[in-house]
Amino acid sequence: MSLENILEKQNSKYEEAINIAKKGTHCGMCRFDFLGTGLCPSGKKYGFVAYWPQGRMQIFKNLMSGKVKPTKKLIEIVNSCSLCGICDKQCNFATYLRPEKVAKSLKDYTDNLNKNEFQDVPEDEILKGLREIVGEEWASNDPVIISSYIQTIIHPDSELNFYIVMPKSTEEISKIIKFANNHNLPFMPRSGGTLLACATPTVLSKAVCLDQGIIIDLLRLNKLEIDTKSYTATVGAGITAFELQKEAYKHKLRANLAEAGAHVCANIASTGITSTWQNRYGWAADNFTDVRIVDDNGDIKNSSDMDIKNPYTTEGGFTDITLSPPGIITEVTMKLHPIADDEDVVLVPFEHLKDALSMIMKLAQRNVGVSLIVLSRKYLSEFLCPTNQIAKDFEYICEKYLKLNYVVDVIGNKDDKKIVEEMADCIIDKSMIKTLILGAPKLATLKDSEFLKVLSEEKNPSKAIFAGPMRKHLEKGLEASPEQIAKVFDEDLQDFFTKVYSKPEMTDLIWLHSFRILPSRLMRQRLFFAQAGMIWAADQNKILKLIDMLSNVCDKYKLEHMLGFILPMDDGKYAFFEYDYYYNHNDPDAVKRVSQALLETTENCLVMGDILMVLNYLFKGLYRKEHVLYPIPKAISNDERALFRELIESILGEEFKW
Amino acid sequence: MVKFLSEEWIEIGKNYIVDKLDPIKDLKSITTSLLGVVEHIPPDDITMNFYLELEDGKLKDLIVNTGDTFEEKKAAYEIRGNYGTYKSILMGEMSLGIAVLKNRLKVKGSKLQALKLIKPLDGVIVALKEITDEFLD
Repeated sequence: MSLENILEKQNSKYEEAINIAKKGTHCGMCRFDFLGTGLCPSGKKYGFVAYWPQGRMQIFKNLMSGKVKPTKKLIEIVNSCSLCGICDKQCNFATYLRPEKVAKSLKDYTDNLNKNEFQDVPEDEILKGLREIVGEEWASNDPVIISSYIQTIIHPDSELNFYIVMPKSTEEISKIIKFANNHNLPFMPRSGGTLLACATPTVLSKAVCLDQGIIIDLLRLNKLEIDTKSYTATVGAGITAFELQKEAYKHKLRANLAEAGAHVCANIASTGITSTWQNRYGWAADNFTDVRIVDDNGDIKNSSDMDIKNPYTTEGGFTDITLSPPGIITEVTMKLHPIADDEDVVLVPFEHLKDALSMIMKLAQRNVGVSLIVLSRKYLSEFLCPTNQIAKDFEYICEKYLKLNYVVDVIGNKDDKKIVEEMADCIIDKSMIKTLILGAPKLATLKDSEFLKVLSEEKNPSKAIFAGPMRKHLEKGLEASPEQIAKVFDEDLQDFFTKVYSKPEMTDLIWLHSFRILPSRLMRQRLFFAQAGMIWAADQNKILKLIDMLSNVCDKYKLEHMLGFILPMDDGKYAFFEYDYYYNHNDPDAVKRVSQALLETTENCLVMGDILMVLNYLFKGLYRKEHVLYPIPKAISNDERALFRELIESILGEEFKW
Repeated sequence: MVKFLSEEWIEIGKNYIVDKLDPIKDLKSITTSLLGVVEHIPPDDITMNFYLELEDGKLKDLIVNTGDTFEEKKAAYEIRGNYGTYKSILMGEMSLGIAVLKNRLKVKGSKLQALKLIKPLDGVIVALKEITDEFLD
């Protein structure tokens, strides 16, 4: 039987599991305990991505497509999974997938292979050298283990000529880098892998992935110490945002952090930590007091060392593009912030972005609120709703009946809340937010109902339903309860999700903003690409023009798209924006269109001026923000535009046009 | 077989650039000089460098030395990287631009100015790719 026939036969047997595996997006939510289920025992013990649920899905996909052949290590990977079901609970919350079905299929597939079908992978001299540094079990050249890193640091078309190494300390990383240099092998660190997972399907893939060499998986650097006296936390590169926040909260402190699964050190290195707390807590080097870094020569440095080159500055300009961090951050001393006793949250609904933007900038300039952001209805729907379909219906209702296209989302103390209430026509308060979270499935069923049709005839439907006479009808009608929302999950998970949604934090928007477990839903069975940047905010019309431009380009390329958010920075002097393109990462045509939109919008932003695009601040999170943001980027000339195109061609190859 | 950084490599490289590359079309009439430092050369882990000078797109000098400096002439730009990186570039596995942007090749001086040279230098890289077919492991 030919290989194609064998694969076809397997694919038909495992169709459901293959579909699940393909929809996996490497959001990484299975690698930390955000629901109180405990961690995947296998991943916790063995560390390599291959032993985590996301890795099993990737391996299964690779085996079924013929990308990798079974090795003896596969038996260990399969047997390390006890089918305990933790992954189903975690993944279902975030992506509505059931990865355990993939684990079962992988086990069935492996059990049915003959003993002679498992390749033996010998140790070579490089692996031997790496094992001498980190210990026998923490380095591998096994193709199955390597293949689990595809899409999060390895391009899908790459040969699997890599080594994976999991050091425990900064000193081991230093030795690995020196070893790599002596053997002329490229290397790259890997943390959560989510950023690369979003970039890998696109045209940026080969530019950001490692082409060969040594992957340094940083998961084992798990130091986490809080110092309440100095309001700081010492955090190793293996620690996620969620894990740090959990420790900080025990001391009534908060760290400024990215999405729950993002590794703190990697996030500083890559994008400098973007969050709703940014106007107050800052960005880039504002977030830490010290970092420990291993440079490309393997030398260990601290940013506080007196005898090193200024670690906080960068060249600037539109051609200052960097596709790798300036070394490997192994440890960071993060600033922590006290949490006020009277913190509260309000959402202010808006039909038009112009009005929402005007309000958020006024709040930022007056330094009102600790957390400030304009969220689009798309983000609100995706975050609050447990499934794609409910999110879709929720968003439809927001747009069609409630005229709720944006919310100004403010967390602050009682005084802040009072100011917002005075400025707003109506607010959505904490109690109503809880109702919307637990009642989202029921609200979605009201789509096209008479109730909503009548409501839409109101002058301000949002005001009528959230702060007017219809509020009590909505509260009653939604029957918002943990039991109600749990019904949307598979029957065997409903008891579990009733308990999850009974926890106060699951409906507490302040907790959700701090721990950020909901953004993973943007990667629910499909990917998104975030076109992001910073724009000087003195001219708010320019921000609106920018959003229009981003929208028009996405329409041109027939993409599902919408503004994600706008958040003010530095007392509203500038604003951070994220505009998202959603796409099926398994569809090559969609991937091509996303890539074209990405490049065209980047170029257009450079032509507009006053905008610093993600391509220009990527991997600059270690620097002082003033050195990254100033001088304000001027609109590029035609000559500079030609140079930009040359640069992009140099990065991506001349064949890619937009 | 022409080995990277050998005497023969210099001679054939010079001839190739002079004979096959058009100073205007291929080398964009550039005037610049570049010191390429190659670190971790096997088997003894030595460092070598090559000095390349172009004037109005015409080759003025291509010199190979040991060590990481070239005292006789001061180059406008210095790029530094390990032997494996240069090998990847000359084997066509990685572009010069990507190597710079990924920090595999470190630029001394203005990165902006160096990146402006990438396109004209592509011509030289193509030439060196054509003639280099042996590397040390």
